[in-house]
Amino acid sequence: MGWGEWISESKRYIIGTLVLGGLLALVPFAINFDMYYLLILSTALLYGVYVVAWNIIGGYAGQLDLAAFAYIGLGGIVAAELFTIYGVTPWVGMFVGAGVAMILAAAIGYPTFRFGIKDVWYALMSAALVVILNNIFHLPELLGSLDHYLPSKYGWMYLRFPTYENLYWFVTVTLVVAMLINLKISHSKTGYYLRAIREDELAAEALGIDVRKYKLLALMMYAGILGFMGYVSIVIQGTYSYHTFDSPNSITIAIMGIIGGLGSIAGAFTSAVTLKIIGEYLRSTLGASIPGIHLLIYGLLLIIVGIFKPDGLAGVWVSLKKKFVKKNVRGEKK
Amino acid sequence: MAETMLELKNVEAGYGEFRVLHGINLRVDKGEIVALVGPNGAGKTTTLRTILRMTTLYNGEIRFKGKDIRHLPTHKIVEEGVTMVPEGRGIFNPLTVYENLVAGAYTKKAQEKMDDTLEFVFSLFPRLKERRNQIAGTLSGGEAQMLAIARAIMSRPEVLMFDEPSLGLAPKIVLEVFDTVVKLRDEANMTILIVEQHVKNSLEIADRAYVMEMGQIVLEGEGKALLNDERLKKAYLII
Ligand SMILES: Nc1ncnc2c1ncn2[C@@H]1O[C@H](COP(=O)(O)OP(=O)(O)O)[C@@H](O)[C@H]1O
Ligand SMILES: [Mg+2]
Repeated sequence: MGWGEWISESKRYIIGTLVLGGLLALVPFAINFDMYYLLILSTALLYGVYVVAWNIIGGYAGQLDLAAFAYIGLGGIVAAELFTIYGVTPWVGMFVGAGVAMILAAAIGYPTFRFGIKDVWYALMSAALVVILNNIFHLPELLGSLDHYLPSKYGWMYLRFPTYENLYWFVTVTLVVAMLINLKISHSKTGYYLRAIREDELAAEALGIDVRKYKLLALMMYAGILGFMGYVSIVIQGTYSYHTFDSPNSITIAIMGIIGGLGSIAGAFTSAVTLKIIGEYLRSTLGASIPGIHLLIYGLLLIIVGIFKPDGLAGVWVSLKKKFVKKNVRGEKK
Repeated sequence: MAETMLELKNVEAGYGEFRVLHGINLRVDKGEIVALVGPNGAGKTTTLRTILRMTTLYNGEIRFKGKDIRHLPTHKIVEEGVTMVPEGRGIFNPLTVYENLVAGAYTKKAQEKMDDTLEFVFSLFPRLKERRNQIAGTLSGGEAQMLAIARAIMSRPEVLMFDEPSLGLAPKIVLEVFDTVVKLRDEANMTILIVEQHVKNSLEIADRAYVMEMGQIVLEGEGKALLNDERLKKAYLII
């Protein structure tokens, strides 16, 4: 595989991503713009964005980050408050939210990586971050105990609509963008450095790779994407409050990323979307009788993946492909 | 007299509270191959890591070309011109051979010269060129060691440190590795500090050598002279 072939390979991925985006964009027509399904699908694709973003810190940089909703919540609440209090359009607010989330990531990541906190300690610290923000925003001076509502303004200007198809399309576009960002990273030097760090941090360091800088970069890119999507999360939820800093769902995102296969963009997407759809389905059918059933299923899947396929869905795909290709070769020999 | 590249003076270092090195004095001059030998657990790896600022330093001086490098982070020391081929190779398995090499050319200087360096390492290890797009995890032990060496060369070091490069390799490949080490000194002007278990082989190619035991240098001298040292012969059963 030379340079020419690499370009064609990366082009193939880009085209594949765009085709996927196009197909997803057609789904509302296929389901007759059914509001309920569109809401579930928008949520599922939104989780697709989250998990694809998580792939940067979890998959490439190998940090078990459990703080997704710290960044989603902060970015979303910043955009929502700017909109509610100052009338700032979310199109600006979302970028401000992304920026604030990235600043938080830098403030957390710099000392964390500086003092070499990793593995379970990193996971615990990131999990604590969600809880801390949850408590801080619970203060009466901030959001208090109330649910806050976005102003009842609708239209593209506010990214809020009486029906869900426009929001669904918006999420589809951001999903494609998030996947392309991942693709770009994975085929760049930054991607090599990050995967090198994940594979053998000491060796990467001994080669002169600035390990801290790249971990921080990965964390900030992840936080930026999540912070940007926070407003969409609030639009789908309808309200925002300190509950927006959601611990169980932060863990869910990491679980989905692991089940998808660390470092695999297609795996991240597939795992997030299918698990979220299954989860929502279970919640709406069995949720009342067995609350938390979807979390139980995710946990079971995680165990199964851990035992049989540590590379996640992406690993299953690779071994299926191998089998298939081998059969093909044999077929040709006949 | 040749320029002194690396100099350790009374270095005490370890991991957190756990002291491993108890006052190491060591010098590597330009164009030398210096061997550091000694039993398992003596602190050889810790010495190399200490030079790269990857351990806790309690006391002592570390200089590269006369410059105090104690307060530089690891990546800055590599930028200055010291790189290590780590123990166990530390290959990035999921990356291709080529991507491993790109990851090795991290510093700005290394990136600018990457094409030349690539050509050099491929001439040194033609097998790597054939396998440039192969996933590194699928290489044989010998090939993986070549890749580890090639990858370290990508950073354009002036001093290259090897940590037991022959570990786990077939005898024939071990000889190839030692040949490569000599070649790097003779043809690429590199200065070499090599930690080895193969005491005899390494003393044969070394200009000077240090013998280390329990975190201290217990013996030093010219490589060939040490080879005939009775104490060493006894300790390592060199025949
Ligand atoms: N990462 C580490 N943390 C704590 N102790 C270590 C670490 N690495 C090595 N040691 C200890 O330091 C001592 C010297 O080890 P090392 O430098 O690896 O010896 P050598 O390379 O000569 O075999 C040993 O007692 C070992 O247990
Ligand atoms: Mg060792």
